[in-house]
Amino acid sequence: MVSQTEQNLLALMIFFIMLGMGCSLTWRDFFSALRRPWGLFIGMFSQFGFMPLIALALALMLKLDAYQAVGLIIMGATPGGTTSNIFTYFSKGNLALSVLMTVNSTLFAIIMMPLLLFLYGPIFATDEFTIPNKNIALTLGILLIPVGIGMFIRKLSANVGALLELAGGIVGIFVILFLVVTWIPNNAAILSTTPWQVYFCAIALGLIGIMVGYRFAKILKIHPRSCRTIALETGIQNGPLAITIVLLSFKGPVADQVVLIPALYSLFIVISASFITMYFRKANTNEEQRIPDLL
Amino acid sequence: MTTNDRPWLKHYGPKTRADIAVNDFRNIAEMLKHAAEKFKRKKAFTTCMSNGMNGSLSFEQVDRKSDAFALYLREKVGLKAGDRVVLQMPNCLSYPVAAFGVLKAGCVLVNTNPLYTAREMQHQFVDSGAKLIVIINMFTDKLQEVSKVHSFDEVLVSRVSDFFNPAVGRVMDLILKYWNKQVPTSPYQDNCFELAVRWGEKNFDRSKLEGYLKDISPETLAVLQYTGGTTGVSKGAMLSHLNLMSNMQQIFELIGTEIEEGKETVMTALPLYHIFAFTVNLMGFYTKGGHNILIPNPRPLSNLKRAFENYPITWLPAVNTLLNALTQEVWFCDSPPKTLKAAVAGGMALQETVAARWAEVTGTPVTEGYGLTEASPVISFNPFNGPKKRNSIGVPLPSTFVRLELENGEIAAPGEPGELCCFGPQVMLGYWNQPEETAKTLREGWLKTGDIAVFDEDGYLKIVDRKKDMIVVSGFNVYPNEVEDCLVKHPMILEAAVIGISDEKTTEAVKAFIVLKSGVDMPEVTEKEIMAHCKQLLTAYKLPRVIEFRNELPKSPVGKILRKELRREV
Repeated sequence: MVSQTEQNLLALMIFFIMLGMGCSLTWRDFFSALRRPWGLFIGMFSQFGFMPLIALALALMLKLDAYQAVGLIIMGATPGGTTSNIFTYFSKGNLALSVLMTVNSTLFAIIMMPLLLFLYGPIFATDEFTIPNKNIALTLGILLIPVGIGMFIRKLSANVGALLELAGGIVGIFVILFLVVTWIPNNAAILSTTPWQVYFCAIALGLIGIMVGYRFAKILKIHPRSCRTIALETGIQNGPLAITIVLLSFKGPVADQVVLIPALYSLFIVISASFITMYFRKANTNEEQRIPDLL
Repeated sequence: MTTNDRPWLKHYGPKTRADIAVNDFRNIAEMLKHAAEKFKRKKAFTTCMSNGMNGSLSFEQVDRKSDAFALYLREKVGLKAGDRVVLQMPNCLSYPVAAFGVLKAGCVLVNTNPLYTAREMQHQFVDSGAKLIVIINMFTDKLQEVSKVHSFDEVLVSRVSDFFNPAVGRVMDLILKYWNKQVPTSPYQDNCFELAVRWGEKNFDRSKLEGYLKDISPETLAVLQYTGGTTGVSKGAMLSHLNLMSNMQQIFELIGTEIEEGKETVMTALPLYHIFAFTVNLMGFYTKGGHNILIPNPRPLSNLKRAFENYPITWLPAVNTLLNALTQEVWFCDSPPKTLKAAVAGGMALQETVAARWAEVTGTPVTEGYGLTEASPVISFNPFNGPKKRNSIGVPLPSTFVRLELENGEIAAPGEPGELCCFGPQVMLGYWNQPEETAKTLREGWLKTGDIAVFDEDGYLKIVDRKKDMIVVSGFNVYPNEVEDCLVKHPMILEAAVIGISDEKTTEAVKAFIVLKSGVDMPEVTEKEIMAHCKQLLTAYKLPRVIEFRNELPKSPVGKILRKELRREV
């Protein structure tokens, strides 16, 4: 369902985008985010608390079959991914916080994912499956190395940094579009026979996650910009990682069933997050200090 | 006049003389040349965009390119000494090149706010009789409207990306045109300012340039700086080469020891068309070998983030509004610039709360000065090592005499408020083509500022308010500044403006306009609460009678709150 080429292309795209993002960051940004570790704690809580619970509740309420349910649980227990950084960047959120949250949740995923699957997995009575720690480490690498390189480039030349930052964004949009456009026709057969509950869960997981994350941060009186960041970080999971985990853990037709929700989730989150990003971007503009036209 | 008339002299630092020395240079052009020869390949100007893209010119390059532009003006266009040239641009690399070029050609510079409406532009162009304009490509559409009434011999169009690395500049042009949609198409778009400079570089002729310089005496008119002034319509203050050079010298005489030649980096977020940044940043710091970081548009304030991150800013000339806004930004407060020495505030009253918050956030002082366009602009300044006085605009600069006049023309007694009048080499020649207005403002060389001030026992000045803004409640004088200062001490209030409204009982009464901090909703702060807050700080007749909540207040381009706009609305 998800070919090797598509996975590679995705990895390459993420590398390029993260390089561009690194160019927009300095140590000061990370220092700023660490000064308010609340955001990080809250992020962890929604990431590994709310998201798996939302997945579990959806699976039970809509009576998904065991394979699809496991796919959904895996999706819910996956850490945040670079996609959330991209959307945070475009929504003018707190990018440093987003990157830190992603790094944080990816690190903790090494313990949390097995734990969560150990807790929730038996409900759907499947065989045990392995968490490929190697892939999680790879995710960290693909996240941190380009960010580091980007930060270094910016230090050398602000001009080159700004150009790469711009290029990263543009490349990101094109690759996402390309993947969406090619993936749907390739999988038309499976998609047309998939029950609506599966679609619903794939879409709802992200949307509910974003809303819950936002409310939660808001209740705890986090700065509005960070609230939006936490919301995106909670709702947007590392789709490619979930897909990889499934493909490494299951084989044959079972794998095709389990991977259905992670794949659909990865597709729909791009669409729903785009709308939310536009909304957040507008909210950010409205909040900016109104200072006189100093031009 | 003797030093006895200047009790403030004792607060000058040990190296500050009471009077500035005779100027080493005959005109600004010579002064600029001297700086360029001294600092050669050091960076003089860098434009920093909000995404970090940047372009720079060294002292040598600025000198060479402005020479070239001077040649273009005189030889190609055929302008004569004394012809007026309008610059209408935001902060960008073309600004120093064009401004210095105009001065080197012996022409007169007319700095114009790029955000002016067609009507305001028209007034300024017609009044000054300008022959040439250098305008930023973003605003050429308005020029078309004006061209029906006033035609220029030549229109030159500059871009923010002028003199950038071509690859970076091209990308910037694309972003500005297609993403930000800020560049209208216009019939002038082929008259590139950059090409004019290139013409001058190709036809370079040192002897001609030296010829222009010979004709510029210290008293030659250098700049027509338009100002609303004390009365209605905008007038051109005539500032001579000597006025501007003296003012720079006076400022540096007072704070000079704090400035290390060739080592300063100054954040130029204030617009260069404004006299404060024009004298202090563009020319003052240039002569001291400072590196100016030009911000084309500081709105939103996050546009300054990259500049603060990428350059070791040591000085920040600012206005109260800018300092206030910066201390409300999370990114700024988390990592205030470590290299900063001080912020310099002028242009409007610095509020106590803002100064205190600034010091708390950055660990550096805000030093307040005072001046106005008609005085090129600085009249007084706080010496860095003198006593720290709250709300004081400091002491008069070297070679500056200040007295406070009462309504009847007598000198105010010590401690008594009076209209601040100033005498010194920085006082303008007069208003352009306005002999009556000039006579009202200049009396035997004394400039009447229209500001009410008071001297304390040490000779430190404090501005009480604008003469025309004073509110008379039942015969008591209420100064809006004082009431506004109290209002903004309330933790939920971002900004406030106070004006007088007519009142049956008290003739005039105080009305306050209030902007709450973002995130604070009306029900959280009630009128009652604000009144209770004011009652703790103000006597009864100063209390606002009416309070109105607003989302924003009308402001001038540099961020001065425009009380007269509010009065007009009422």
